[in-house]
Amino acid sequence: MAPNIVDKSLRNDRIAAWLIKSGGLFVIVVVIGILLLIGQVALPLFYSPKAEQLEKIPSELAELLESDNSAKIQSRKQGENGKITVQLLPGDRISVHQQLVEQDLLGNEKASEKKYLLEDKLPGAITALWLGRRGQSLYAGTDNGWLIRWDLAEEGEGRLIEKVEAFKDHRKITALATLLGDYSLAVGDSTGQVTSWMPVKTPGTGEDKRLAQIHRLPGFTEPVVHLLASPRDKSLAVFNADGDIRIVHLTTERLLLELKSGMPVKSSAFGDNGRKLLVSGADGKMVAWNLDIPHPEVSLSTLFGKVWYEGYNKPEYVWQSSAATDDFEAKISLVPLIFGTFKATLFAMLFAVPVALLAAIYTSQFMAPALKGRIKPAVEIMAAVPSVVVGFLAGLWLAPLMDKHLMALFLSFIFVPLMLLIAILAWRPFAEKTKVGRGMIGYEFFGLLPIVALSFWLAGQVAIPLEAVLFAGDLKQWLYSSLGIRYDQRNSIVIAISLGFAVIPIIFTIAEDALSNVPRNLSAASLALGASRWQTAWRVVLPSALPGVFSAIMIGFGRAVGETMIVLMATGNTPIMSWSFLNGLRSLSANIAVEIPEAPFNGTLYRTLFLSAVLLFLLTFVINTAAELLRQRFRKKYGRY
Amino acid sequence: MSQESVQTNKQPAILEVEDLNLYYGAAQALKNVSLSMLRNHVTAFIGPSGCGKSTLLRCLNRMNDLIDSVRIEGSIKLDNQEITGNATDVISLRRRVGMVFQQPNPFPKSIYENIVYGLRIAGVNDKATLDETVERSLKGAAIWNEVKDRLHESALGLSGGQAQRICIARAIANAPDVLLMDEPASALDPLSTLKIEELIDELKEKYSIVIVTHNMQQAARVSDSTAFFYLGELIEMGNTKKIFTNPEKKQTEDYITGRFG
Amino acid sequence: MKNYWKRGEPMVLAAGATLAAILFMTITLMAVILGNSLGYFWVKGLVEYTLNDGSHIMGQVTGKELHALTNAKRVQLKVANRDIYGQDFRWIDESDIKGQSVPKEAYLLDRMEHGNFFGFLKELKGADGTLLNPDPEMLRKLSTDLRRQESALKDIKKKMSDLNQASEVIRLKIAKLEYRNAEANGAAIASLNEKRNNITEQFDLLKDELNSRQQELAKTTATFVDASGTAKEFALLDILNIHQPNKMSLLDKVWVYAGKIGELLFDDPRESNTEGGLFPAIFGTVMMVILMSLFSMPFGVIAAIYLREYAREGRLVQLVRIAVNNLAGVPSIVYGVFGLGFFVYGIGGSLDKFFFPERLPTPVFGTGGILWASLTLALLTVPVVIVATEESLASIPKGIREGSLALGATKFQTLTRVLLPMATPGIMTGLVLSMARAVGEVAPLMLVGVVKMAPSLPIDGQFPFFHVDRKFMHLGFHIYDVGFQSPNVEAAKPMVYVTTLLLLLIVIAASSLAIRFRNQMRRRYTTSHF
Repeated sequence: MAPNIVDKSLRNDRIAAWLIKSGGLFVIVVVIGILLLIGQVALPLFYSPKAEQLEKIPSELAELLESDNSAKIQSRKQGENGKITVQLLPGDRISVHQQLVEQDLLGNEKASEKKYLLEDKLPGAITALWLGRRGQSLYAGTDNGWLIRWDLAEEGEGRLIEKVEAFKDHRKITALATLLGDYSLAVGDSTGQVTSWMPVKTPGTGEDKRLAQIHRLPGFTEPVVHLLASPRDKSLAVFNADGDIRIVHLTTERLLLELKSGMPVKSSAFGDNGRKLLVSGADGKMVAWNLDIPHPEVSLSTLFGKVWYEGYNKPEYVWQSSAATDDFEAKISLVPLIFGTFKATLFAMLFAVPVALLAAIYTSQFMAPALKGRIKPAVEIMAAVPSVVVGFLAGLWLAPLMDKHLMALFLSFIFVPLMLLIAILAWRPFAEKTKVGRGMIGYEFFGLLPIVALSFWLAGQVAIPLEAVLFAGDLKQWLYSSLGIRYDQRNSIVIAISLGFAVIPIIFTIAEDALSNVPRNLSAASLALGASRWQTAWRVVLPSALPGVFSAIMIGFGRAVGETMIVLMATGNTPIMSWSFLNGLRSLSANIAVEIPEAPFNGTLYRTLFLSAVLLFLLTFVINTAAELLRQRFRKKYGRY
Repeated sequence: MSQESVQTNKQPAILEVEDLNLYYGAAQALKNVSLSMLRNHVTAFIGPSGCGKSTLLRCLNRMNDLIDSVRIEGSIKLDNQEITGNATDVISLRRRVGMVFQQPNPFPKSIYENIVYGLRIAGVNDKATLDETVERSLKGAAIWNEVKDRLHESALGLSGGQAQRICIARAIANAPDVLLMDEPASALDPLSTLKIEELIDELKEKYSIVIVTHNMQQAARVSDSTAFFYLGELIEMGNTKKIFTNPEKKQTEDYITGRFG
Repeated sequence: MKNYWKRGEPMVLAAGATLAAILFMTITLMAVILGNSLGYFWVKGLVEYTLNDGSHIMGQVTGKELHALTNAKRVQLKVANRDIYGQDFRWIDESDIKGQSVPKEAYLLDRMEHGNFFGFLKELKGADGTLLNPDPEMLRKLSTDLRRQESALKDIKKKMSDLNQASEVIRLKIAKLEYRNAEANGAAIASLNEKRNNITEQFDLLKDELNSRQQELAKTTATFVDASGTAKEFALLDILNIHQPNKMSLLDKVWVYAGKIGELLFDDPRESNTEGGLFPAIFGTVMMVILMSLFSMPFGVIAAIYLREYAREGRLVQLVRIAVNNLAGVPSIVYGVFGLGFFVYGIGGSLDKFFFPERLPTPVFGTGGILWASLTLALLTVPVVIVATEESLASIPKGIREGSLALGATKFQTLTRVLLPMATPGIMTGLVLSMARAVGEVAPLMLVGVVKMAPSLPIDGQFPFFHVDRKFMHLGFHIYDVGFQSPNVEAAKPMVYVTTLLLLLIVIAASSLAIRFRNQMRRRYTTSHF
């Protein structure tokens, strides 16, 4: 052979080896890079905030400074074109001055003014006063720890709503401010603590909402002298007498930043829509910072813990990523979504696992081999049915059908097993005495197919009169009025059936493989010892194939956890936490599909959704790896096939 | 003994193994093996399973390279050329040292394509050469008459004995100097075995043959010299007749007379 | 009897019953889809009911049921005429019906808008305003005439779209020049602007001509009345198909049925996707899957070859193999999220910054498109190809490799001449399975470029002919969108069932093919080594 050909083929071989190696490694790196990239997008959620002192203070920023930090006089816009001013007068009286400018049709302005005094008897001397940003309510704090709230919404009239003994140790309240949205009131006191308060309805009483302490924010050890709410989100700057500043966030109760101005602060302001903070001392010296707080509303406790949100009566897990107004509190608890994911998966598995496993046992152990070659491809094709098709049928065919025939569905839970039991009892003489019966061994399920269909039909026939007699013709109404159970059209039964339908072929195929691969001589040995075919399957084959069967269940589980379209289409996508099988749910995966088209690039919601993708990834990866390891152990035990 | 050395001089050794040690990871599979195989001579390796005879055979055309954990010390010379080092051109070596395996392993191609495989990968595509080689090789492997009418049918349809002879034909199509046979008849029926054995007898006219076998009668029938291995060591080597009638070592005698194995 | 239970025979039957239940579910699924979709294109006869209150109502009977409480029978009627009645379906209690008839002269019209119309022909008006004889022949003649005249307008439309494209090209050129340096390129910009204005003028001229001719055509009208006598005048141009179902023979109906299937496969959708054809969706799906295979196939095969033939078997390879196997089980939505973050915003965003800065903030590649969708799905299906290829390489006996190497072949020669040909059925199985999966996958696509209505196909006559940045339509998404996002779900349902059937047929055909390949391969190897 010519040496140049050897050289050539050797060179080709080396080039090919290099190409294949780099190509193979490239694919593997890419595939592993997926997790890293998703994680990398989600990670900035947890970046710590940074502040940078500005060298030069822009003039437009300096103009924002409040003239007077003592806050004895405060004024706000009220409504479209009104203005309200309150002034704390000596003797703890408060004067209120409302101005209203109205335009008539011709464009003439007509100004009206109202002035009145608030002279309610107070439990202590007022040490802090705050007029809500919309000029609707007025808050005061006293030197002995009481909070007082007035309603100024009515024209020309101020109404004292409540006096609350906020602190039992009667500490002095030194600073007040409402946060963005004007709902929560931040209270700073002489011990340096900062707390947030909002009106809450006490359960069981018919009374009005009363102020209650909600969050305790990180404060100082020395008295708080001033509070300044951010115009951008629910965060707050807290000042002490030395000019130390802490920026804290309401919902997360996080300490975002600690700044030192190095002088007692006389006045302060947020600029650039909350991205800059400016303070000035008594001598007019000004210090300003650029604030870089990427995602203040995110912390592990808001993502996974119970949080007491504004407008709620108790701490709860809530997912509500957006609302009509900008000043709403983002509710990004992933718990309801994780709950929904597991609820859907659990119900689906409850339905799918027994069905798939029994069918796999039957197919691998009892079915006539000739038939087995046809049934397996049939089930594999069932596995190929796109989830969007299953979801569509679940949402638009099964859900309305069930809505109409709920009673029949419940009845069929009784009818199908009952009919099958009767059939099984009748089977024996048939199978043993007749020729057809003996010929049916290995083909039994053919005979059972019409019985399953018949039971459903029968359930449907019985249901209508029964529902009319027992539940006045409307089971759902009865459930709601008598048992207080709410019925959603797209409920968890629909999920269980449709998601189960998607998972069954997966579990079936893998479990069937595992069961079929148990060496025949094992079962032959058992049969030779006089065991029946069921005893052999149950006591010999199944235990041997257990790792494979278990890994089948886990792979099915992994698939159900991540399934998107079925859950998206077959549930109402309501992020509620209820175990009732008549209610809907929202899963992590469907949530991503629903929300990500609306999520601004690199915003909090966008990153939170990436975080939930990471969770899904990890969850399925762990489950599948465990399943794979199990399966490999199984292979080692019994060889390759 | 003197007669043997004369023979060695007349027919110089084509393969010489010296102080060969072979390790699979930490386990040693061959221990200080030295022997030489003569030109146009059938050398048989016998011994119980796991004695290292197949391992040695695979060293002769570097098939052990395929196993990652193998380490070789010592020297193997083909026509006085060292073949163990990294410098050896393994591809050319394997073309000079053909091999036939225990399981017949025809490729899922036609008989014709199976035979010309070695030529095609060497870049020979000339139809006349290919045709000529096919006929020569098939005749050489004594299967021409059986398959000449179905050269373009799949080689997978052949019986075990036929497939094995196709594999032999495939090996000799490369015109090797040495033919290694790793228990070539162990997967075959007695009749096919007989045919293979007759073929070996014919082939030694042209090629030097090294055969590994389990079957002592076979070794006795086909080989000129026999080497007996036990636990990775070469126990005894010599003229086949002498080994089978009057072995020097006790272990050889025990094995040949069937006391263990 | 006790023995019967003890030996577990009932359990065998119970296990059989679960298999029966699974088959029952599958059969039901198929039956529901077939039942709801196959009948959709069949031209059903029209029935006219006279109700007790003296009113008339005409429609197609679509369902009958027994009311649960009253035990009264009622009929569901598709009454169509959405623009008059506001809804397509009506339930009528049988007790309300006084009489029924099958009017021979009744018409069924497919309209451009508002779905079908059921009614009777009352008046025909020619383009010049003259009244014509209102009989079926005349109607048909006018209609075919109009169609012919309308297709003559195609030339104008084609010219207009060419001009439009030319103008767009110039606009982008101007934007580029302006972005680079508006002052230095002032002259060029001015000349381009002039050119563009020219084109716009020509375009406007053509548009006026088209408009006037269309208005001319629209003057031919027909007036129909519904069963209750409400008259409605249509431009004949807006009526796509005219049938008289009660007069049609079986053969006519079959013919119409076949025509409608043709329309389904080759026409554009109408009425926000609830009617018309599926062509763009079919095209988009096929295009995307082919593009995806171009990415996933070579890389998947190479990775599998690396893992099985080249990488040293060890802990690392073991781990990588587990990882790859498991990636096949990672939820598809996660891939979608990745595609959005990496391809669309990451790579796409950078491409825009470097190559199309003048068009920002309008993204070119920085938004979902068929390229990103295919890449995302390629990632999703690469594990499938890897696993299938590896399996088939692993099932080739070691002796074959040794045989080839012993003959002096290099590793690469062994691979290309022996192993790959032998592994081909396995690789094909993987490819077809991955295609079947990609065809049915919707969730990730929703994030990376699928839309309910794409204005143009990814391939057209405009340079560079294949536009990988364009958004596309997809059968699976079509199902989700029309079934769950359209305003009139009830009317859209039949279309969704038809789409579902089509999708299912594609997927099942692909999967059966894959299963066939696999069985073939198994059979071949089990006989090849003994």
